[in-house]
Amino acid sequence: MKRPYQVTGVVFLLLAAFIAYEALKLRYYTHLGPGPGFFSWWLSLILGGLAIVMILQAMFGRSEAMPADFFADRIGYLRIGAVVLALVATIYLLEPLGFSLTMFAVCAFLLYALGRQSFILTVLVSLASSFGTYYVFDRWLKVPLPRGVFGF
Amino acid sequence: MLESFQLLMGGFATALQPVNLLFALIGCVLGTLIGVLPGVGPAAGTAILIPVTVVLDPTGAIIMLAAIYYGAMYGGTITSVLLNVPGEAASVVTCLDGYQMAKQGRAGPALAVAAIGSFIGGTVATMGLVLIALPLTRFALKFGPPEFFALMLVGLSLVTGLAGKSLVRALMSAILGLVIAQIGIDPVMGAPRFTFGRMELLDGFGIVPVVMGLFGIGEIFLNVERRAVQVFETSMSSLIPTLKDMKDSAWPIIRGTFLGFFLGLIPGVGAVVPTFLSYSIEKRVSKTPEQFGKGAIEGVASPETANNSYANAALIPLFTLGIPGSPTTAILMGAFMMNGLIPGPSLFKDHAQFAWAVIASLYIGNLILVILNLPFIPVWVAVLKTPYSILMTLILAFCVVGVYSLSSSVFDIGVMLGFGLVGYTFKKLDIPTAPLVLTMILGPLMERGLRQSLEMSRGDFSIFFVRPLSAVLVGIAALVIITSTFRALAPVKGADSQI
Repeated sequence: MKRPYQVTGVVFLLLAAFIAYEALKLRYYTHLGPGPGFFSWWLSLILGGLAIVMILQAMFGRSEAMPADFFADRIGYLRIGAVVLALVATIYLLEPLGFSLTMFAVCAFLLYALGRQSFILTVLVSLASSFGTYYVFDRWLKVPLPRGVFGF
Repeated sequence: MLESFQLLMGGFATALQPVNLLFALIGCVLGTLIGVLPGVGPAAGTAILIPVTVVLDPTGAIIMLAAIYYGAMYGGTITSVLLNVPGEAASVVTCLDGYQMAKQGRAGPALAVAAIGSFIGGTVATMGLVLIALPLTRFALKFGPPEFFALMLVGLSLVTGLAGKSLVRALMSAILGLVIAQIGIDPVMGAPRFTFGRMELLDGFGIVPVVMGLFGIGEIFLNVERRAVQVFETSMSSLIPTLKDMKDSAWPIIRGTFLGFFLGLIPGVGAVVPTFLSYSIEKRVSKTPEQFGKGAIEGVASPETANNSYANAALIPLFTLGIPGSPTTAILMGAFMMNGLIPGPSLFKDHAQFAWAVIASLYIGNLILVILNLPFIPVWVAVLKTPYSILMTLILAFCVVGVYSLSSSVFDIGVMLGFGLVGYTFKKLDIPTAPLVLTMILGPLMERGLRQSLEMSRGDFSIFFVRPLSAVLVGIAALVIITSTFRALAPVKGADSQI
């Protein structure tokens, strides 16, 4: 696991540097005590220090073997990509199209892409997850959900 | 004391009327169902269901709302154990070991122990309300900003109890949580921090999208990657806890009860702190700490007990002093006032029958909750047999509803997705996510406590040492940090030793 932790350490070090840079723009101390930048500054230093320790441990210390499934195969990443795509689509379509239609499409896509369930089961589960959930929350519990251009 | 006992008996006479029993039962059912829905926690659930109680008389309304409150606390446990999706922030800790137990075919014992622990914790907290509420509440109100800061410091010091093999990785996760908590408006001066001009970031990241992403969505990514067919792929063991399970859970339940009770008395602590603290303490005192995170029943028993004990104890400042200690008790206070009742010392004088009826119903409601939920465990566990693609679709739909309903913003869905990728990556790299959640919640409380204390003392740090309570808590935090550092340098039993 040396290489993954070296990369992770570098990423955290860059993040710490960025936080330190942003913290310098804030007020560090006031006459009454710490200002908005106080905690951020010290957190960035601690995070940077820990990142350096992680990098050094990965370079010079004992390291466990990388698990066989650390990297997924191509299909595995495609499946994760499908879920990510579904959620991104939800973000962009939820308000214009409304909750019911958006979730119906998203659920049907996921069931087809990841489960290969029968057509009827796909439609039933997608309806329950979308229109059914909408009914329970919007109509019964009065939790407003987006209705979109079609009104549902 | 004798007078209190007599008044309590009178309260039971009212609470045991069939109609009030029915209200408690309905409240427990609705609360559990609401708690099961990811993202809809006790506060939102109680608020959503207030209209249901408007048509009831004041006693019935408050009995039902209180039942909804602690029912929702238990409901959050069910999805945490079965699906690794915390129903609300306080259930995050249950995911660590409860879900692992479910994957080993032991979801039944996990849920059963959680139900029994919740019953014991809730009942003891209610007894505390009857016997020692007023003097304890006065003590808890001595907690000013310095004591609050010191208490949060104790909580943060116990982060080391959440570390797995590597203290460095746990600390990085904890610091990241503190950094994330910096995003938004500075709690003292009101200046925007790390918002980059975005309106959505003025409130920071909500804890619900973060935990649902880290735990729920992250787990979904891991399962779809390995093409999981079901949540667990071993055979189901018995649904009933074994004698060993009950023996192992006994002391954690006792400790969780008293920890949750004490913290429930302090306004502003929140439900998450007792659960994380109890988990850390159990891991610290356990003879097999390496089992935590792999399905240790103590990791379910103590936090769940602390959770329910806290929920009932949080009603004490509300009843005795009229001070709501949490968002949910603030909503309950609103419900009190809607029904023409003012919580506080005068409640026991002017509406004694109502007050004692509600207290008696807390006993009864806790009993109803355990009687109701234990037989349903096979039903909940049967959920695990659902094909994962179908389960995952339903989880995603509820997660989207849960986060969207918080502030009607699709930005929160994006936050959930982002943290889902973080959770997936952390799992691959064996970086624990629990420290991140703990510090994200405690960080702002600690910062506010520190800065308010220093404003009180005009910048003098000795304020934390001259006040006795604060000094004791700071001492405890220092002791925990020192012992944790020494422990981290020694080989950890049963695991590789790494700093």
